[in-house]
Amino acid sequence: MTPQTLSKNASPATDLKARIGSIIAARETGVLLALLVICVFLTFATSSFLTVRNLLNVGRQISLLGIMAIGMTFVLVSREVDLSVGSTYAISGLVTGMLIVRGSALIPALSAGLLVGMVIGAMNGVLSTYGKLPSFIATLGMLSVVRGAALLITDGQPVTVDTTRGGRSEVVDQFYQLGQGQLFGIIPMLLVCFLIVAAISWLVLAKTTFGFRVYAVGGSEKAARLSGIQVFHTKILTFTLMGLLSAIAGILSLAFLPSGQAGRTGVGLELDVIAAAIVGGASLSGGEGTILGTIFGTLIIGILRNGLVLLSISPFWQTTAIGLVIICAVGIDKWTGLRRSQ
Amino acid sequence: MITHSIQHRTALIGLMLAGFLPAIASAEENASFTLAQTIQDRIAKGEKPIIRVSYHDVSNEFAPFIKKGVEKAVADFGVDAKLVGPVGADAEKQVSEIESLIEKGVDGLAISSVSTDALAPVIQRAMARGIPVVTFNTDNPSSKRLAFVGQNLVESGRVAGKLLADTLGGKGSVIITTLDAAAQWSIDREKGAREALGKYPDIKILTTVTTGTEPQQIYGSIENAMQAHPNVDGILSLECCSTPAAGQYVQRNGLADKVKIVGFDLLPETIKLVQGNVVAATIDQGPEKQSYDAVQLLLDVLKGKKIQDVDTGAVVYTSKNIGDYVVASKEQKQ
Repeated sequence: MTPQTLSKNASPATDLKARIGSIIAARETGVLLALLVICVFLTFATSSFLTVRNLLNVGRQISLLGIMAIGMTFVLVSREVDLSVGSTYAISGLVTGMLIVRGSALIPALSAGLLVGMVIGAMNGVLSTYGKLPSFIATLGMLSVVRGAALLITDGQPVTVDTTRGGRSEVVDQFYQLGQGQLFGIIPMLLVCFLIVAAISWLVLAKTTFGFRVYAVGGSEKAARLSGIQVFHTKILTFTLMGLLSAIAGILSLAFLPSGQAGRTGVGLELDVIAAAIVGGASLSGGEGTILGTIFGTLIIGILRNGLVLLSISPFWQTTAIGLVIICAVGIDKWTGLRRSQ
Repeated sequence: MITHSIQHRTALIGLMLAGFLPAIASAEENASFTLAQTIQDRIAKGEKPIIRVSYHDVSNEFAPFIKKGVEKAVADFGVDAKLVGPVGADAEKQVSEIESLIEKGVDGLAISSVSTDALAPVIQRAMARGIPVVTFNTDNPSSKRLAFVGQNLVESGRVAGKLLADTLGGKGSVIITTLDAAAQWSIDREKGAREALGKYPDIKILTTVTTGTEPQQIYGSIENAMQAHPNVDGILSLECCSTPAAGQYVQRNGLADKVKIVGFDLLPETIKLVQGNVVAATIDQGPEKQSYDAVQLLLDVLKGKKIQDVDTGAVVYTSKNIGDYVVASKEQKQ
């Protein structure tokens, strides 16, 4: 939510009214309302929805999508887009997996995967800034380049992380704990990682100078440059962050389901990631979007999927439903945006 | 009366012809196909035949096996054979590649179609140019291909259905999982599975779950389906990838004694789950054999022999015989 400067002379009552007004007008409220409507509907439509078990499942199911959607939020706010995230997710996980299977210790294997993600992100950033390519084109190209690289280094074979293929047992166990463990015996580790990433990202985007610069660059690149902001550096950093978060998600995905395959893992993921961020309020024209909104957007997509299966609705409706949700989300935002600006 | 006996005779002849029709049809396909003169000359001169094997997605987990089959054929027959095909199941890319091969010059094509409608025309064009075409793994029955090498998908579904029914002792509720319920291979297998399961009055099929193809999504869909139907007794997976996901779900939730699973193919995770008795049985389609036999059939055509469809069968692996497969594949690697 954009910071509200309140007049020092206003009374507490007016302050409160203004605060409430700004909360209601905020984009995230709209998304939250939509999310609550869906949840209420599902609670009445099926008894399997509102159980601790199901909600924790959904929480875990959206965690990896959420981590990547948070990265996409930074990129979208800076008025760019990254289509290569599915491929980065795949190759980072596969690199970590391959190293573990070749007897590597855990930290080096994880670091290598994260580094691969960051390097790809940085390349996307450089191509989209100094390379003068529109990020849509640059990352579209990288989508294929990185996917191809993943196929080449694995020769199309699945990568399975376990001790029978050469992994050290302590390393494999720790890796499994990372992906399949449960905090306090009940909260899935993937969800824990998502919440940590969300908290740190919210701080960075909303409360740091870097976050401010990202909004400035996305709002108006010219104005940002004129006020002394290093636009290119900021953008390269957002893409590198996106690469890092894709790598985190990819590594966690392999830790959860210990078999990955270059032709299948993460294929098509970019569409869901962008959808989650946009439903949550980020805009393709930059300058808008928050971590909280993205979390709600991710939840909407995850809960829709979960609900459609719980209700035994034809899976072909899932694809239609996600598409309709994107259209409605962006549409509603445009119409209410018109009202807000009047 | 005379008219009666003429009618009878006509009917009898008609019946006989109808019985012979399939044989006539395939003989016709074989007979109406003439090998291009340029290819005949090359073979007569003793040059190495150029065979290209076009698989519908060279980036999936079967592609390495298909490739191995082609490489084995090269080693055994001394032919110039290569695996080609699109990365990702893209019909247009597959068609363009085959068209380029036709122009460049090729002595035989083995094709596993991304989509039967999209590939049928280019198969016709190749055959009209005198290039022999066989299909493998995924058939293209609407085209006039010379033969098909692969698994009878409907029959494999029946085998799977019967396996699960027997494992369940003839009663219980079942959910079917598949990557894509609309794909032709899935429709065929599901048809066979439902036929087989339908013979058991105490077995109820609750629903078919389309899981999508991304691994996390597959697992999540199965998770959600099990939430919706917590008392299910059996899971029938129609393909390679929801099989291990179902097994992992059952294993992680301590349901291995309660929920029985039957699936397909021999992904590393699936082999582990079969060994651990979490997956009761899995059906292999022998992808290596499919590409190997396809190349062999094309070579037969080039030698002037008549060819027929080859059913690569549905080999069932359970905890009892999975050890044999593991040993055999290790020996092959050496």
